[in-house]
Amino acid sequence: MQEKWLLAGLSVALLISTCSALYEDQIRKFDWRGVNVGALKQSRVDLNHFQPRILVSTNEGVVASLCVKTGELVWRQVLEQKPRGDIKLLQVSGFSDDSSDTAAAPMGSNLGFDMLTVQGHAPALVRGWNTNMGALEWEWSIMPMNIERAQDAMWIYSKSVLYHVLPAWRSHLEVTAYFASSGHSTGSTSKVIAPWITPESCTLSGTFYVCTEGKQLISLDLVSKSGQVIRTSLETEPNEKTQALTGLNGVVIVDGKPISVNKEQSICGGLQSSSYAVGSFNYRKILAFADLSSGILKINALYLDNCAPAAELEQSLPFPKHFGTPSLNNFDCKQKRNGEGKNCLFLFSTTSESIVAVQQGRVRWSREEALANVIDSQFVDLPLADTEGTLENEMKGKAGDIASAFLRRITTQAVQIRSLFLHVIGLGPPPTATQRAGLVRDSFGLHKMLVLLTRSGKIFGIDNVSGKHHWQLYLSNVSGFANNEQMRLIVQRSAKHFPLQPLCTILGKNAVNGNGVLYRFNPITGQVAEGGLVQLDYKIKQLSLLEETEKDFVKGILLIDASNKVHVYPEHATPLADGMYLYTADVKSAELSGYFIKYAGGQLSSTHIWNARLGGHNSEQQIIGVAGKNPIEHVHSQGRVLGDRSVLYKYINPNLVAFVTQAPDSTHKSVLNLYLVDVVSGSVVFTMTHRKVRAPLSIVHSENWLAYSYFNEKLRRTEITTIELYEGKTQANSSVWSSLQAPPMPLVERQSYILPTIVEALRETITERGITNKHVLIGTASGSIVEMPWHMLDPRRPIASTTQGREEGAIPYIPELPLPTESHINYNQTVARLRNIYTAPSGLESTCLVVATGLDLFVTRVAPSKTFDLLKEDFDYILISIVLVALTSGSLIVKHLASRKLLKQAWK
Amino acid sequence: MSAKQNSKKFKWALDFNVSKNADIPSPLGYNPSALVNQSEVVRDQRLVIKKSWDLALGPLKNIPMNLFIMYMSGNSISIFPIMMVGMMLIRPIKAIFTTQVTSKMAEGAQGTGQRIVYFLGNLANVALALYKCHSMGLLPTHASDWLAFVQPQTRLEYYGGGVSFV
Repeated sequence: MQEKWLLAGLSVALLISTCSALYEDQIRKFDWRGVNVGALKQSRVDLNHFQPRILVSTNEGVVASLCVKTGELVWRQVLEQKPRGDIKLLQVSGFSDDSSDTAAAPMGSNLGFDMLTVQGHAPALVRGWNTNMGALEWEWSIMPMNIERAQDAMWIYSKSVLYHVLPAWRSHLEVTAYFASSGHSTGSTSKVIAPWITPESCTLSGTFYVCTEGKQLISLDLVSKSGQVIRTSLETEPNEKTQALTGLNGVVIVDGKPISVNKEQSICGGLQSSSYAVGSFNYRKILAFADLSSGILKINALYLDNCAPAAELEQSLPFPKHFGTPSLNNFDCKQKRNGEGKNCLFLFSTTSESIVAVQQGRVRWSREEALANVIDSQFVDLPLADTEGTLENEMKGKAGDIASAFLRRITTQAVQIRSLFLHVIGLGPPPTATQRAGLVRDSFGLHKMLVLLTRSGKIFGIDNVSGKHHWQLYLSNVSGFANNEQMRLIVQRSAKHFPLQPLCTILGKNAVNGNGVLYRFNPITGQVAEGGLVQLDYKIKQLSLLEETEKDFVKGILLIDASNKVHVYPEHATPLADGMYLYTADVKSAELSGYFIKYAGGQLSSTHIWNARLGGHNSEQQIIGVAGKNPIEHVHSQGRVLGDRSVLYKYINPNLVAFVTQAPDSTHKSVLNLYLVDVVSGSVVFTMTHRKVRAPLSIVHSENWLAYSYFNEKLRRTEITTIELYEGKTQANSSVWSSLQAPPMPLVERQSYILPTIVEALRETITERGITNKHVLIGTASGSIVEMPWHMLDPRRPIASTTQGREEGAIPYIPELPLPTESHINYNQTVARLRNIYTAPSGLESTCLVVATGLDLFVTRVAPSKTFDLLKEDFDYILISIVLVALTSGSLIVKHLASRKLLKQAWK
Repeated sequence: MSAKQNSKKFKWALDFNVSKNADIPSPLGYNPSALVNQSEVVRDQRLVIKKSWDLALGPLKNIPMNLFIMYMSGNSISIFPIMMVGMMLIRPIKAIFTTQVTSKMAEGAQGTGQRIVYFLGNLANVALALYKCHSMGLLPTHASDWLAFVQPQTRLEYYGGGVSFV
């Protein structure tokens, strides 16, 4: 027994030692990380601090400090996941509504704070931060009695006291005051009767709780002892929800107009703007407002005390379209060094989730925070250099006879020589824009354009080697689909068809009417292509990509709408949709439907051919995971060699899709079912049930295997189950695969392993021809990406160390999977809130391109079987050439000497 | 003719081979036929045949030794067994190709038979070497050896779809 374990340990040790890790000098050579904070929620620009800074809190639950000059991160603290990390209040000392109030305590005491945040609701955490380093200094929390109601709780800060405002809708408000830095309650909770309050109509502006009712504003001062109700009448009934104007106590913005409900706070009349911010200038309070009209951003300001315009602050600037609509978040001014005038920095948040800093009539810097929510990604090949392009053209030419081909070759080479000559003497044609930007395909296909689609509708074209943003596009009023299905990014034409430009399409939903939207663009230049935005007049239910057309090499998109009508875009690809199969899955009822698409007489029609209910006997099961295979996958090896040198043929069903359903269960708490369904015929190939197991689920499906991770509730750990499907020792049909001709049922191998981490994402590596081994990339909750070889996850790992298993090369089964640090492909560059991993093949068979998305972005490449088709980076070219030259010249000299000696001997 | 030239070249050389009168009769009591022993000739002939049979049976005689070597070298794939198998394979093949040369040395009444035996013996050695290769797993005789050339199945149906968007 001991011997067996020793053997197992040894083999594992051997395997680990063969893992390829990054060398120290390879760091950042082909990987980079982008660090984001997320869309701006609250910010404080502070230019007059001894260390000018911008403190921000974001929708992603991040507090950070930005550099005023460049917008780079000084520090960042990623708080807990939502809802616990949802930031409700950001309060910076010295920025209270009342200038008399200073929260900053004397140095050395633990009662003051630089910055205070309130996050979450159950428990609500109040934290004090050191803004210079981003260190957490103190924390206190309260646990509300009623957790559900606490979700709507609001917090206000006034004069060193933090007020917890808990509304009971249509009834009353409960206000509790706490000393901000200690958490001690100042007294009992006061109840304010307010039967008019509803979540839609009310906002909290400073200490005033303001609700709209018809043409009236009803407000309450929560801090004042009197508790009197103030009614303010409006000219018209408000169309939008009122917003609080931060910085002014009791001022709300109703339809773009600031209105004060506070008697002590007057506000200038006749203002109309989309966004306001309050700051100070020349020791006077000032109201700045900014509006975007026809691409020009205008910033204006008024002194609050006399409503006189502050002309020094007024500026207008062209505002790039891809930022979307800006909204002024905060600003601050600073005396210039030479004492002449002031210098102001305006901080904008935009609808495309960018953070834009405007200073002196121009955009000083911007941060693309949309990248914190990447929802789809594609690697697009770069265009060929001109000379290679003509060569490619020649290869493609279908001209038959040798003479013309020869003539063409000669002419192209003559042209090449001429262009080379012109280039050398400096008279060549100027390089195109893409060439100037260095966007030319390299010989190994490692340099690609990374196109990222984000949740806000902003699209980025990023260089995957340097990380440079080459272009940005912004789609406003386009959103993701129902059932938490995101927008899709589709490559309709790759860069392989040289004179034709590559073409990408985004498929989304019109945010207003819910109809489908198509947006087509060139992924290399980021320019609109073939009409750009197309508003469809139907709701998209599902889609599929078709084969390339002969004419312009575009892959058509087949769309099925809500009434099961079928459409093809572009229309000339319609005949290719004939004979396609489509399936749709209803998440909530766990019902699958299969459709057959027929093209006859110029008309497309869909026939409902099968139905599968995975809902269980009481229809409680809901689909929580769907995984098909990557459509560009190639399977090189059709079988697996066993110990006795026979072949176990893989069951490679290209139409197999895995569905995972979950339902609560009375005896087992939660039950997880796995179904492997052939979505062409609708037959269920395999099912498996896990008891006492629940989400989070990650799933990866490739070749003839499947791996999925889940949380085991009984043993409270993350487990990963792997499944392999085999046809057997013979292939039923070695030439064609048809799901309709009753293919044999597969043999199923399965095994479960324990992972000592929480899995956020799983993805398999993919290469051009599929010769290279497959590894599974495991994205963990701690933000690291672990490269796990398939032979560690292999379900055929023998439990008893048998000869057969050993000869097969399988390592004995050990339930725990090791996560050695060498296999963390992002070493110390953790990806905060890792959400997904995307892989794409490169031009090299050995290498696979990887992008991990989350709050941060990490781009790298992996070589699962090591770079067998590439010389090592430290290959000693000089030594090799010296040796070669020395040997050749040596042999020549020796030959000469030998012949002379022979001659001499002959003369003797 | 050559003698004449020789005599011209070397004035003082005596050539005993050239008799001036070649048709002088043999001396008395000289019987030319008595010199050749008939039984000797027959024995020589037998010796030659025996020798050439030895040669022809050589490969066959090697077989037991080869078997012993094969047994001793084992089935593991390492440099010495590979070298041995290589030699065992190449030597008889070479021998087969040089049968003509070898058999010229012993041309006799049983030449054809010997040649056939020699050839068969070498073939047996080749077969032995191949068997060794097979048992070492060097011959592509299993389906797994041709797995890399198996083409993937072409699919007849294509599908699309996923979770419903509505």
